[in-house]
Amino acid sequence: MILSLAWRNIWRNKRRSLIIIAAIAVGLLCGLFASAVMFGMGDSLINTTIDRDLGHIQIHTKSFEDDKMLTDTIPAAQKILSEIKTQPNVTGASARLIIEGMISSATSSGGVRITGIVPHDEMNVTTIHNKVITGSYFESEETNQIVLGYKLAENLGIRERSRVVLSFQGLDGSIIYGAFRVTGIFRTESTMFDRSTVFIREDNLLTLLDSGPIYHELAVRVNSVQNVDSIYTGLQSSYGYLSVKNWKELAPELKLMDEMMGMMMNIFLGVILFALLFGITNTMLMSVMERVREFGVLMAVGMKRRKVFLMIILETIVLSFFGGVVGIILASITVAYFGIAGIDLSAFAAGLSEFGMDAILYPILPLYFYMSITVMILFTAIFSAVYPAIKAIRLKPATAIRTF
Amino acid sequence: MSLIQINKVTKVYDGTAVPVKALNEVDLKIEAGEFTSIVGPSGSGKTTLLNIIGGLDVPSSGSVIVDNVDISTYKPDELVNFRLHHIGFVFQAYNLIPVFTAKENVEFIMLLQGLSKSVREKRAIELLRAVGLGDRVNNRPSELSGGQQQRIAVARALASKPSFVLADEPTANLDSATADSLLDLMENLNKDFNMTFVFSTHDQRVIDRAHRVITLHDGAVEKDEIATL
Repeated sequence: MILSLAWRNIWRNKRRSLIIIAAIAVGLLCGLFASAVMFGMGDSLINTTIDRDLGHIQIHTKSFEDDKMLTDTIPAAQKILSEIKTQPNVTGASARLIIEGMISSATSSGGVRITGIVPHDEMNVTTIHNKVITGSYFESEETNQIVLGYKLAENLGIRERSRVVLSFQGLDGSIIYGAFRVTGIFRTESTMFDRSTVFIREDNLLTLLDSGPIYHELAVRVNSVQNVDSIYTGLQSSYGYLSVKNWKELAPELKLMDEMMGMMMNIFLGVILFALLFGITNTMLMSVMERVREFGVLMAVGMKRRKVFLMIILETIVLSFFGGVVGIILASITVAYFGIAGIDLSAFAAGLSEFGMDAILYPILPLYFYMSITVMILFTAIFSAVYPAIKAIRLKPATAIRTF
Repeated sequence: MSLIQINKVTKVYDGTAVPVKALNEVDLKIEAGEFTSIVGPSGSGKTTLLNIIGGLDVPSSGSVIVDNVDISTYKPDELVNFRLHHIGFVFQAYNLIPVFTAKENVEFIMLLQGLSKSVREKRAIELLRAVGLGDRVNNRPSELSGGQQQRIAVARALASKPSFVLADEPTANLDSATADSLLDLMENLNKDFNMTFVFSTHDQRVIDRAHRVITLHDGAVEKDEIATL
């Protein structure tokens, strides 16, 4: 009956109750949607980086990480690559030969990272082949093809079929020059990547180096982020003599960004819940002040103070629960809609690409977030109700029953 | 032993700049089955006395013995429990719970007493029939007249099977006919069930019906008269 009384008390002033329910719902909708946008941004940044060149896991020699020396190659890299490819949940693995060098066109030159790849392996690990805007991604059998970023092409004043010269230090310390023809120009979400990275076939690079197969980097792609940790741990134990790192270790700035997004979301939600706390307290306080005489009567006829307290807490919880449920439903619909349709941020695309982000943002909100927000709302409601409830139980029945 | 025994009760309100002595060494005994009015001008101490008898307030000194229990030493929570099981209240402004039906209002006291639903419902309906509202059990207070609401308040007061009923100006908001009808009801309950009623009132109609009239003046008993019936 206490619950029934609380329930009916809520609806004795429908307009007020509906306003506070709407306030909670809209507050939550905004908070959850903003969180979903932030989650989406974080995800976009992480995924685009993983898709572009990082992969989920990378293997190097321990010394390569420090010095990036040409001679720091992975022993028996091809054998390791074959072993990794056969592991369950691994969707692709690619061996890379990485050299820091110079690229020169007829008009300009600049420093680049030269990545020697096996194109069909690389296509299983990264999505550069989908980002080619001019030409193709090593589709012809022509030797000495080079695929580079549009920004680099602009800086060098070159286009498809232009010739460029790569120069870099060989294994013996001598400078090696190689002429390449631009067969593809790609454009990723990251301007910096597009300005500084070129891809060539690994066999062309090995020929120039006059070397047998040598690799500096093995990049691994896993079918789901959920499975990264198990494969990562497995690889670490199998190849303990090498440096095995997951994407978080490879790109600590992404991890930092991920953590910062999480922190910002918590602050944002904290602000919303704090505002809700005052809104609910105000409403419940009004409700208590309007019913002073009634509380006086309830306590006069024998209702214990703790039951009066409980009744006010219940009223607040029910009210907040309704607002919370409506808010969560609205937010999940909105997030689901924009999660599929995306939010077009192409007006800010130039700025976003500096951060390596896609122009279409897909908000996303994990299930646990909905659950934790529900719990937080309930706690906020209880917390909000404490002051009005204390106010009610401090009333003196003898005085309260004569209040008009 | 009297049902209500007040011994040298003094009540001083010292929250104001000048302390106010609302009751001054009042001695009073009320026996079971009485139909008594406490009267007096405003400020005479009627309400304070009623609050102290009803366990809504505690005396500054003296003792209040109700049903052989000295409630003047009770803590607030003990007083709540005492009120729930020993005292029925009827207020001037009815003070029903607006969101409850007539039956639920009567049931509520029994719910607080921890009685089962079947017992509560049966007794609530019996009481509403006894006060002449057997056909309005599912109506909310806002759907009933003032007189009907006050009858529900009487039924609610009796629901806990109290030792006595305290009625604070019960007819103040009622017209003559309705007030007479309500007094008839309470008088019958007094006769038929030997239920003790103690009124605080200004209303001459109530004073005329009372079997005993206690007149207060400046916080002291000025007159204590047994009416000639």
